[in-house]
Amino acid sequence: MLRVTNLKAAYGKIEALHGISFHVEKGEIVTLIGANGAGKSTTLKALMRLPPPESPVVTGGDIAFDGVSLLGMPAHCVVSDLRMTLAPEGRRIFGNLTVMENLQLASWSRQDGQDGGMEEAIRRIFDLFPRLAERARQRSDTLSGGEQQMLAIGRALMTQCAVLLLDEPSMGLAPVVMYDMFRTLKRLNAEGLTIIVVEQNARLALTLADRGYVLDTGEIVAEGPAQALLNTPQIKAAYLGG
Amino acid sequence: MRRYTLNILFCAAAVALVWLAQAEMLDGYVLNILMLIGINCIFAVSLNLVNGYMGEFSCGHGGFMCVGAYAGALISVAFFADSALFGEALFAPWLAPWLFPVILLGGMAAAALAGLIVALPSFRTRDDYLAIITIAANYIIISIIENIDAIGGPRGFSGMKRTVNAMADVIELPWMLMWTLAGVFVCVLVIRRLMSSTYGKGVSAVCQNEVAAEMMGVNTNRVKIMAFMASSGLAGLAGVLYAHIYGYVNAQSFGLLKSTEGLVMVYLGGMGSISGVLMAAVAFTLLIEVLRFVIPWLNETLHAVNLLPAGYQLDQIWTWVFIPLMLILLMQFRPEGFLGNRELSDVFPRLRRWITLK
Repeated sequence: MLRVTNLKAAYGKIEALHGISFHVEKGEIVTLIGANGAGKSTTLKALMRLPPPESPVVTGGDIAFDGVSLLGMPAHCVVSDLRMTLAPEGRRIFGNLTVMENLQLASWSRQDGQDGGMEEAIRRIFDLFPRLAERARQRSDTLSGGEQQMLAIGRALMTQCAVLLLDEPSMGLAPVVMYDMFRTLKRLNAEGLTIIVVEQNARLALTLADRGYVLDTGEIVAEGPAQALLNTPQIKAAYLGG
Repeated sequence: MRRYTLNILFCAAAVALVWLAQAEMLDGYVLNILMLIGINCIFAVSLNLVNGYMGEFSCGHGGFMCVGAYAGALISVAFFADSALFGEALFAPWLAPWLFPVILLGGMAAAALAGLIVALPSFRTRDDYLAIITIAANYIIISIIENIDAIGGPRGFSGMKRTVNAMADVIELPWMLMWTLAGVFVCVLVIRRLMSSTYGKGVSAVCQNEVAAEMMGVNTNRVKIMAFMASSGLAGLAGVLYAHIYGYVNAQSFGLLKSTEGLVMVYLGGMGSISGVLMAAVAFTLLIEVLRFVIPWLNETLHAVNLLPAGYQLDQIWTWVFIPLMLILLMQFRPEGFLGNRELSDVFPRLRRWITLK
């Protein structure tokens, strides 16, 4: 579904990705793990075609979505045409809007805004995260961290995405909330959503994922089925705390 | 019903004012201040779209008012005045009340176009850089106009009174007051409707986080450019009204000082609050007028008690000591302005039974 070949990306003159290749198939959960500064978030930003200066410029290689290169597309077209979106690091909900308005913003990327599709989609999000339904009319900056993460994911799902990229979804969450979140992600995956997740918490990510890639300073140093990576001694030592 | 209370209230107040003016119960000075308040309302509320709702920092709003004022003035003179520049008047004077909206729209379109020209290159940057670019744009606009001799250059441009008089000849009404009130109404209506639409939600999203907005499929560039154009277009409306009320425009009156006035009104009222900014625009205009009387009084008093040296006179330039001082105090003690980013109906929820801002 998504095929990245020899991707090079740079912030100004500093190259952050030195030619990485990986692929994601439909219905998979794939995780990218690695230390700080390994290039995990950079990869996601490059995939989403986010504009510089906060995001890198792709200097080489290709990203193909269903066989078509997406390098010529602006980010909002990747969202609304290819149906791939990102739940950014640190949630980034729109604090001055209500929960409902956050979700309704998806009408930018949907064609069915007029004929009731939005209401149906919002109902589905509320089924998935009942807490959000309780808080629908509340300004979203009054939500707790866990609720904000629910909103960030719910909001992303509102774009009808087929591929969901998650940047550090566990960041700042209590363990209970975090496990809950990952169970929900597993359920969404079972319903057909393809997920690419970037995590500091490598053990958790590998437990969730089907396959994993290990990034180190802009290069992929290991890859394989998640279970195998979990049991590789070097990876255990370097990323899973021994 | 609730939806219309505000509109009805405004219309009732407008009719009352027009009636008072028509019955000559308001003298020229009061009438002028009323119209100035209206212009400042439009100017501040339109700036609030960019600086408040979108969270960008535009410092050159006066420049767009200038473009609107000159464009409106030129169209007006071409339509209804015999001038060296355009030759004979294009239309008969009795058409003036009907064609005045065209003049307003022309000024707005020119200002919006200027906004587009500034926005296209500058919205690749943000924050401080956008502030610097808009300051530069303000200077550029004024320099360009000052250096076109055909439209008066530094001497300014006049002749618009002909149009105003032509309107009064058709029917004797306080025309400019009516147009100003209509302008305020349209401006507030446009921004209210815009901010409750999908587009407006996009503007709020851009203000909060551009990456996240883009990830919801919001075309952030388009949103920013459209909001900037709408904002400068409405500033242009303020400009056309200004040009016709005074019958004379000079590029110098739309300099950085004018832009600063706009910023003061927005920050005084509260960023992202229409009702707050409207209150601030009224208060600010009145304050400047009050200072006009207070400063001479202060001058005399201080001289009387020998606190000022005999050779020094406290003059009107001190307005621009008091106003920035007020801004400093405001930032110290109430940095969010009158209402912060809330509306009057959020501060007094009981009002919601009667009015709604959507």
